[in-house]
Amino acid sequence: MSAEALPLLQVTDLATWFHARAGVVKAVDGVSFSLKRGEVMGLVGESGSGKSITGFSIIGLLDLPGRIERGSIKLEGRELVGLPPGELRAIRGKAISMVFQDPMMTLNPMLTIGDQIGLALEAHESVSGAEKRRRSIAALAQVRIPEPDIKIDFYPHQFSGGMRQRVAIAIALLHRPRLIICDEPTTALDVSIQAEILAEMKELVAELGTALIWISHDLATVASIADHVCVMRYGKIVEAGPVLQVLTRPQHPYTQGLLDSLPSRAKPGAMLARGAGTDAAPPPRLPRQAESGRRSADLPYVVIENVAKRFQRKSGVLRLLAQKAGLAGPLPLVQAVDAVSLSIARGEALGLVGESGSGKSTLGRMVAGIYAPDSGHVLLDGERVMSEGEAPHKITTRIQTIFQDPFASLNPRMRIGDSISEGPLAHGLVGRAEAVTYVAQWLAAVGLDPAFAGRYPHQFSGGQRQRVAIARALAMQPDVVVCDEPVASLDVSIQAQIINLLIRLRQELGLTLLFISHDLSVVRHLCDRVAIMHRGRIVESGPAGEVYDNPRDDYTKRLLAAVPVLPVA
Amino acid sequence: MLGHILGRLGQALLVMLVMSALVFVGVYAIGNPIDVLIGPDVSQDIRLDTIARYGLDQPLYVQYFTFLGRILQGDFGRSFVFGMPVLDLILSRLPATLELTLAAVCGAALIGIPAGIYAGYRPDGLAAKAIMTISILGFSVPTFWIGLVLIIAFAVELQWLPAGGRGETFAVFGVEWSFLTANGLSHLLLPAANLAFFKLALMTRLARAGTREAMLSDTVKFARAAGLSEWTVLRRHVLRLIAIPLVTVFGLEFASTLAFAVVTETIFSWPGIGKLIIDSITSLDRPVMVAYLMLVSFVFIMINFLVDLAYVGLDPRLRRAGSR
Repeated sequence: MSAEALPLLQVTDLATWFHARAGVVKAVDGVSFSLKRGEVMGLVGESGSGKSITGFSIIGLLDLPGRIERGSIKLEGRELVGLPPGELRAIRGKAISMVFQDPMMTLNPMLTIGDQIGLALEAHESVSGAEKRRRSIAALAQVRIPEPDIKIDFYPHQFSGGMRQRVAIAIALLHRPRLIICDEPTTALDVSIQAEILAEMKELVAELGTALIWISHDLATVASIADHVCVMRYGKIVEAGPVLQVLTRPQHPYTQGLLDSLPSRAKPGAMLARGAGTDAAPPPRLPRQAESGRRSADLPYVVIENVAKRFQRKSGVLRLLAQKAGLAGPLPLVQAVDAVSLSIARGEALGLVGESGSGKSTLGRMVAGIYAPDSGHVLLDGERVMSEGEAPHKITTRIQTIFQDPFASLNPRMRIGDSISEGPLAHGLVGRAEAVTYVAQWLAAVGLDPAFAGRYPHQFSGGQRQRVAIARALAMQPDVVVCDEPVASLDVSIQAQIINLLIRLRQELGLTLLFISHDLSVVRHLCDRVAIMHRGRIVESGPAGEVYDNPRDDYTKRLLAAVPVLPVA
Repeated sequence: MLGHILGRLGQALLVMLVMSALVFVGVYAIGNPIDVLIGPDVSQDIRLDTIARYGLDQPLYVQYFTFLGRILQGDFGRSFVFGMPVLDLILSRLPATLELTLAAVCGAALIGIPAGIYAGYRPDGLAAKAIMTISILGFSVPTFWIGLVLIIAFAVELQWLPAGGRGETFAVFGVEWSFLTANGLSHLLLPAANLAFFKLALMTRLARAGTREAMLSDTVKFARAAGLSEWTVLRRHVLRLIAIPLVTVFGLEFASTLAFAVVTETIFSWPGIGKLIIDSITSLDRPVMVAYLMLVSFVFIMINFLVDLAYVGLDPRLRRAGSR
């Protein structure tokens, strides 16, 4: 067979196992696929499916105790499994290269971009200093970094996330490899940056004839770049085929389930197919005195009025003295939230959408009474959420927060039962005698076994931990819940379960939600109204359907256009 | 950047001032040097005269300001015991301690950091385990005991190296250095090795911990994926990533060894400032003690300052805030 007729990459029955003390983890277990020159293949799966390990196996970068147990990986007919380390190294970066998820972590913060590109160049060629610089600049220009001759002397922290990922891609493209493996390359980026990188990557790959393995948990990005897709689960490929076919006519129940978990494919507000859960009712809530003492019936339920927040770096004593003496200017201020006014009706869910740095979390924290606004105020039911005066603090328990990362927000040294009952006990919502039953009822209500109350946070999976965090917030019997990216770090099927849980609890408890997210499809699914935030301001707000279908603001239009969409059957 | 340096210098001056007050009060509140300086059988006139000559009849705060004023003119007073200016006395002993300390700390870094990086790179290898075992010894065995063992082994039994003293020196710009002669070097070797042992263990462990962490980082994975050789990855990426804690410890160890090499200097009869300070404490030689303590705090402040500058040199992320 001639070299041209051979597939570029032929993976046959690949098995990569991790021999840990607790037993063998079969991360990849019998994976086969082939890739032609210039072809783009998507490798899709949830966390732990073995998709990244497949990528690392191909490029020969398995961390111990991982080992390729059997199978073969052939690059243009040459067997890569069992090659000595030196020969594998000669292939890495030259014939196969790789781009990782978080460009902040992959580039060395201590070295200039030019140094790092230079090191990658020298790895396979001997080049003079001037030549190295010239080619590094050309590499940056190729990935559309403006002013590459200046930017080459920058350090990674001087770039934005998207620019950093472009630098990583430039390094990966340096030696014109025949195959690039991209491991979740756009997951850490904002949608608009993701759209740019996706478009540029598609162009570059077509231009250079490079084949691409695009590893992602996100079906929509894969759909927008790949020709073929393999769906992985538990170390095996459960379904493979052309993208359109797999995503519109999935054959395997797992693929169908994955697609059904996506809020973008369901009717807004409906339960997602994959998120079946328990239906235990939450414990009855105490009657509130505050309900009767409402000050004004004319005011909306939650009023956010002219709220603003600036952040400033702390300056030292000497700097203060220097400022007083006029020797140094004040440190730059960051206007996180700039005079925002919003209102939420009782029982309504308001979605707050924006990219990173838009100020959406800061606004959410001011609503929840975590940050005191510099000016303006937040009213719930006509009452202030925070006290007035020099050192404002939260004076209501009627607003609670669910954070993005329950691992960070739950005390790791506290049993989750104690985490849940701590607040209600302190505020007299429940007596010490009934606390255990109360916690058990809440655990059942969020779909967890009440027996888990004695466990610690690390003993739970990500989805279970988020359920605990929800139980903890709701056990305070709030009227308003601020959800700050509560499903952002979860796999799609787990995300669907949490979304269903939120929909159900919201109905049962008559909650008012402020739902903060960067994910437009989740917001559309859960929220009645939506507010789009950009650089500290609300650029557009209105009923969700209206904003999504007829955006008026330019930024909203760009944001919506940037979201990759799944092909529809 | 310049503002940052000026700010740090201002802080340093403030610390020195506080230190001078603490040292002065602390030292002058203990004992009566007159009892040491003159015999109990001298006449009252001579006694009063001596007290007045050293300014000891003045109130404490007057003595302090006189002392401060003299220091600002570079005059730390005269040693009660040696009768010579304290500054000259200390400066004559400083080079000996300086070269001993430099040899010990640099030796520890040059051996310890590569050993630690290797142990972190191949943590399960036999060599790594041997390195780590030796480093535990370096932590747990007392310095004076190692010093004695070194003398017994290399000076008494094998007779390869001298047991003590400084040996021949060679003058450069009027300062005597022993590392420039073969005889001086042979005298330097044992005490330097003795001092280096603990630091070696510290550097090894730090470098190992940093390397183990860095090897698992995405930075190293990405560098390997680009085809960089293991040697380049270690030399260009890992070394830079682990440098900050190493520089910190290098600075701290250098300063503390310079100030407190007393035990080793005593065992090896090394004529450095460690021995000088022990002698002056026993004879209640106040000016020497005060000047020595001031010098020590100055050295600590300067080294911390240099370490801070090194941070800025090493980590570009720290440059941003200061340069604007």
